[in-house]
Amino acid sequence: MDDREIYAAVVRAAESGQRVALATVVRARGSTPREAGSKMLIGADGQQQGTIGGGCGEAVVLEAAREVIETGVARLVRVELTDDYLSWSPAVCGGVMEVFVEPV
Amino acid sequence: MNHSHADAISVAQAARQALAALEGGTPVALVTIVQAPLEDAVGRRLVVAADEVTGTLGSAELDRRAAELACEALAARACGIRELELNGETWAFYVESQYAAPELLIVGAGHVGQALSRFGATLGFRVTVIDDRPEFANRERFPEATRVQVVSYEDPFRDVVVGADSYVVLVTRGHKYDYDSILQLLRREARPAYLGMIGSRRRVRATFEALVRDGVDPARLAQVHAPIGLDIGAETPEEIALAIAAELVAVRRGGSGGALGGKERVLDRVAPARETEQGGK
Repeated sequence: MDDREIYAAVVRAAESGQRVALATVVRARGSTPREAGSKMLIGADGQQQGTIGGGCGEAVVLEAAREVIETGVARLVRVELTDDYLSWSPAVCGGVMEVFVEPV
Repeated sequence: MNHSHADAISVAQAARQALAALEGGTPVALVTIVQAPLEDAVGRRLVVAADEVTGTLGSAELDRRAAELACEALAARACGIRELELNGETWAFYVESQYAAPELLIVGAGHVGQALSRFGATLGFRVTVIDDRPEFANRERFPEATRVQVVSYEDPFRDVVVGADSYVVLVTRGHKYDYDSILQLLRREARPAYLGMIGSRRRVRATFEALVRDGVDPARLAQVHAPIGLDIGAETPEEIALAIAAELVAVRRGGSGGALGGKERVLDRVAPARETEQGGK
């Protein structure tokens, strides 16, 4: 899903009064699944469009998105993807992402 | 710079301007405060075009300084965090440049062209398909394309702009049409980002020989990707389209087109002096 589709979905959500959060990777260091500029739109029901990296850190962002939708306050989320491999956590990509989550 | 709209703007308003830029309008940089001395300021935004700024970050001085950063980012088509010191305080902005997606011009609406159109749209290209057969070049076969045009191969690019952001793929049904099309392109000043032509080594060689005979500079032929696509052993039209799409991405992103597994040599770092079962190298 490219920026055109995400931004079109942002406009549609705003016009229909849906409460959604836009998550954007604003900084990526080390090995991360997506680059700066990657976006994901999250609905109040947790439904997502686009991806900022699948298992690698997405759960943290989904949780932040729920709060952002509730409070209406934007925030910067730091996602560490440096878990030890043998923890079998999905976050073993090896990098750090900063994700800006804002209400639409 | 003209600051035409100094009221706060919403995500949706910024998204509308980004969409206009992505569809071929004036490129814009979106600037969003992500860290600020005042928490309230987080999420404020500007939309910056070359000669116009909309929105506000809260103060005229901040707007002016951030707009300067945004213009630099826009010129470099950059995306990322920028920081500013103002009266001893640090502000962090996320700056994102938005401009029209590159165009993939597919000449030839056959099976390879059809599969490539789908890959191209998925990969973020604006796809234009041209062919001289209306039963092939039509919306039903190419629902994902931005434009589908029926043209004459005598002048196939009459209504198409081929520029530095164009990726041109020649996959017509016959080498005569590929030849006519590539001759037209090579006689123009503009050099597309990518120009590829389908055909076996033998057919490509015959085409190149004819082009040189017709006065085309061999230096320009060196920039033609032919035979087309990365070497993945493609056989079906879909596989050939995938090989072409992979080459388009490699050119766009500056990749080598080789297998990462061979290049990174991870095993050598894990076991540097590893010997083979046969007793070493």
